[in-house]
Amino acid sequence: MLRDTAVRDGRLPRARATVSLRASTRAHLRLPAQPAAFARPSDRAARGTSARAAVLHSALLRSAVLRSAVLRSTVLLVLLVLLVLLLIPATRAFALTTDRVTAAPNQDGGRNIIGGEPTRLTWVGTVEEGEEVCGITLVFPEGCALTEDTYVKVQEMVMTDPQHPLHEELECSEDLTAERLIITLDDPIAAGNLLYVEIYKFCLPSLNGEVSITGSYVDDAGVEHELAPGPSISLIAITGTQRLINSLAQQDWVQAWNSVKFLNIFLNPLWIVAAVPSLFFGWLRSLGLVLLGFPLAIPVGLGIAFLRMSRFRLLRLVSSIYVNVIRGTPLFLQIYIAFFGLPLLGIKPNDYVLGILVLAMNSSAYLAEIFRAGIQSINKGQFEAASSLGMNGVQTMFFVIIPQTVRRVIPTMTSEFILLFKDTSLLAAVGVMEQMMFAKTLVNTAGNMTPYVVAACYYLIVTLPLTRIISIFEKKLAASEGREAPPPDKGEKSAKVDAGKRTKRVGLFKTIAPLSATDSAPMTSTSPERHASE
Amino acid sequence: MSAADQRVRDDLNAVLDQGGRSSRAVVRIEQLHKAFGSLAVLKGVDLEVDRGEVVVILGPSGSGKSTLLRCVNLLEKPTAGDIFFEDVRITDPKVNINQVREKVGMVFQSFNLFPHLSAKRNVMLAQRQVLKRSKQEAERIALEQLEKVGLGDRVEYLPAQLSGGQQQRVAIARALAMDPHVMLFDEATSALDPELVRGVLDVMRSLAEAGMTMIVVTHEMGFAREVADRVIFMDDGAIVEEGSPLEVFDHPKHERTRDFLGHIA
Repeated sequence: MLRDTAVRDGRLPRARATVSLRASTRAHLRLPAQPAAFARPSDRAARGTSARAAVLHSALLRSAVLRSAVLRSTVLLVLLVLLVLLLIPATRAFALTTDRVTAAPNQDGGRNIIGGEPTRLTWVGTVEEGEEVCGITLVFPEGCALTEDTYVKVQEMVMTDPQHPLHEELECSEDLTAERLIITLDDPIAAGNLLYVEIYKFCLPSLNGEVSITGSYVDDAGVEHELAPGPSISLIAITGTQRLINSLAQQDWVQAWNSVKFLNIFLNPLWIVAAVPSLFFGWLRSLGLVLLGFPLAIPVGLGIAFLRMSRFRLLRLVSSIYVNVIRGTPLFLQIYIAFFGLPLLGIKPNDYVLGILVLAMNSSAYLAEIFRAGIQSINKGQFEAASSLGMNGVQTMFFVIIPQTVRRVIPTMTSEFILLFKDTSLLAAVGVMEQMMFAKTLVNTAGNMTPYVVAACYYLIVTLPLTRIISIFEKKLAASEGREAPPPDKGEKSAKVDAGKRTKRVGLFKTIAPLSATDSAPMTSTSPERHASE
Repeated sequence: MSAADQRVRDDLNAVLDQGGRSSRAVVRIEQLHKAFGSLAVLKGVDLEVDRGEVVVILGPSGSGKSTLLRCVNLLEKPTAGDIFFEDVRITDPKVNINQVREKVGMVFQSFNLFPHLSAKRNVMLAQRQVLKRSKQEAERIALEQLEKVGLGDRVEYLPAQLSGGQQQRVAIARALAMDPHVMLFDEATSALDPELVRGVLDVMRSLAEAGMTMIVVTHEMGFAREVADRVIFMDDGAIVEEGSPLEVFDHPKHERTRDFLGHIA
C-alpha cells in the first residue's frame, strides 16, 4: 500500500527530454516483463476441447438414431435443432482470437499505466486453424489520443517452433486515428501464427478504471468478423503534477538544463516536481517518528540522569552501562539488532512502533548525559542555598535546579532533536517507510539522483529553523543568567537609567564571552559587581 | 551589653550547666572535629552562642571559620563532636535536618540567589514550600522583608538585574523571611566592591540591634568592633582567643592574634 502510493506519486512521463533517455530505458527494462505470446494458452485449449466435444456428441447421437427407426423423425428434428445449436457457435467461432492486450507502464517504474500519458499499446491475437486473416480493425476506447511521435508496428509471429517464435515485419497499410486503427495486410497471416500489433507513444484515456479494446477482422474470404472481447487494461488518471511535468519536459530551458549531465542527474527539474509531492509524505513519516520518539526519550533520559547521580552504587552502575553501551554503539547496529533480533524472540511489533522505540532508547542515553551535565553544571551554591532554607531534595530539584537546568539544556536538547530527526533515515535500512526510503524508491525507479536532493531539502526544512531557534534560546539564556538583562518595569525612571548603563557595559561583555549551553559559570560566583553599579 | 547583664548571664549559665541543659544557648558546639580527607580543618572547637548574641569569628583564611559556620546548619557534616541547636542534638542522624535549617538563616559570600526567580520570588519560594505559607502571606512577608533591606523598589527584578550589594540584601531578606532563630553570615561582604559593602553592613547592624542572634564570619574589623558582643579569633582549626571586641582588638593576649590584627591594620 505504502509502496504503491510512493510509486504512484513518483510517476513521470515516458516522453521526455532526450538526455534522460538512456536512464529511462534502463528503468523501463527493469520493469517486470509481461509473459510473452502464450499469455492465455488455456483459453485456446478450452475452445479446442469444446469443438471436439461437439463433434463427438453429434456422432453418438447419429448412431442412436440409426438404431431406432421409429424415433427417426422425432430424433431428426432434435438432431437438427441440436446441430443448429452446436453449429451456431461453430460458425461464429473466432478465427482470430485476442491473446493479449497490454499497455506498457509509462516509465514511472510502477506497474501502473497512466491514462493521458504516452504508452505502448500491444495487441496480440492468434489466427486459428483453417482461417487466414487479411485485415484487422482495432477500436479504441473513448478519450484516446495520438502524439506527434505515435507509430505502429505490425508483426507476424511465426509459430513453426513454439519455443522460438519468429518475428516478421508485415507488409501492410495502416490507418491510425485516435478512435481506431485499421490494418490491411498485403498477404494474409497463416493459420496458427500470431498477429502482433504495437502502437508506440499512444495515449490511453485519462481515467481511473478499466478500458478494453474491441474491433473486427477480415478473413481471407473478405468477410468481416467481430473480435471477441479481450482482456481489459487498468488505468490511472493523469495528475496535475504529471501535467506540470509534461509541460516542463517540453520547455527548451529544461532540455538545455538536462543536457548538463550533473544537473540532469542531481537537479533534474522534472524529478524535482515529481519528488516534491511524493516525498512530502515521507517527510511527514520521518517527522512523525521523531515527534513520537523524542518526547518518549525525555522522561526516560531524565530518569536515567537521576539514576546516574544516585546514592546507590548499583543504580549508578546499571544506568552508566545503559548510557555507555548505547552511546558506544552505532544506532544503525541497534536498529539491526532490534529489527532482526526481536522477531527471533517471538516479539513482532509494528515497524513504526519498534522504530520509535529504538530511536527513543538511543536518544534517551544522550539526553541522560545532557540532563546530568545540565544538573551538575548548576552551581553548588544553589543546592546549599536551597538546603539552608530548609528545602528538601525534591523541592530543591523541582523549584531550583530543574528550572535552571531546562534553560541550560534546551539548546543542547534541540541539537539532539536535530540529530535524532536525521537519524530516522537509518530506519530505511530495515525497510521502515520514511523519507529516505521514499527517496530511495523514487531514485531506483527514476535512475536519477534528484529525489535524494529533494529529500535533503525536506530535512533542511526542519533542521535549519531549529538551528536558528537554538541560537535564539542561547541568547535568551545568556540574558536570564545575567549577561544581558532588560529592566522589568520600564515605567520607573531610576531603573531605566540603571538599565541603560547596564546594557551598555553588558553589550561589551557579550562579545567577549558569549554563554554556551554548557557554560557552568554562575553569575553569582566571584565578581558579581561587574555587570552593574549601584 | 552591660557588665551587670554579663554577670547575670554567667550565673545563669553556671546554674544551667549543672543541669546539663541551657535554655539560653541557641547554638552549642562541643569538641567539633572536621576533616576533609586527611586534612583536618577543625580540631576540637567548643562554642556557645546565646540568644540575642552577636558573635564575630575572625581568623586568617584556612583557619576553619567558614567550615565551623557551615557545620552549624550541617552543610558540612562534622567528623566528630556534637552540635546542639536549641538543645536538640542535630548531629544525631535521626534529626530531620531540614526542620533545623529552616530556623537557621544563612547568608553566603556568593549570595546564591536563584537566578531564574525575581527578588520577590526568591524570598517567597521557601516560605511557600517549606513553611507552607499561603501565597498572599508569603508575598506580604517578602515585600515587607525586601522593604526592610531597602529594596522595596526592586522586587520584580531578576538577580542578574541587581548589583551585588542588592543581591546580597535580597539574600538576607530571603533568610529573614523564614523567621530564623539564628543568622549565619559567611563573609557576606567579601565578594562586594568596597562602595557596596556599607549597604549590607547597615542591614546587618540593624538586624543585630533588633536582637537577632548572629554568627558572623567577616573581615570587616570595624563592623566586628562596633557590633559584636563577642569576638572569636580562630587559627589552624581551633579557637585561639575569644572575648569582647575591646579585649580582643585592643588587648590581644595571644601572639597569633596580635600578628593577625597587625596585618589587617
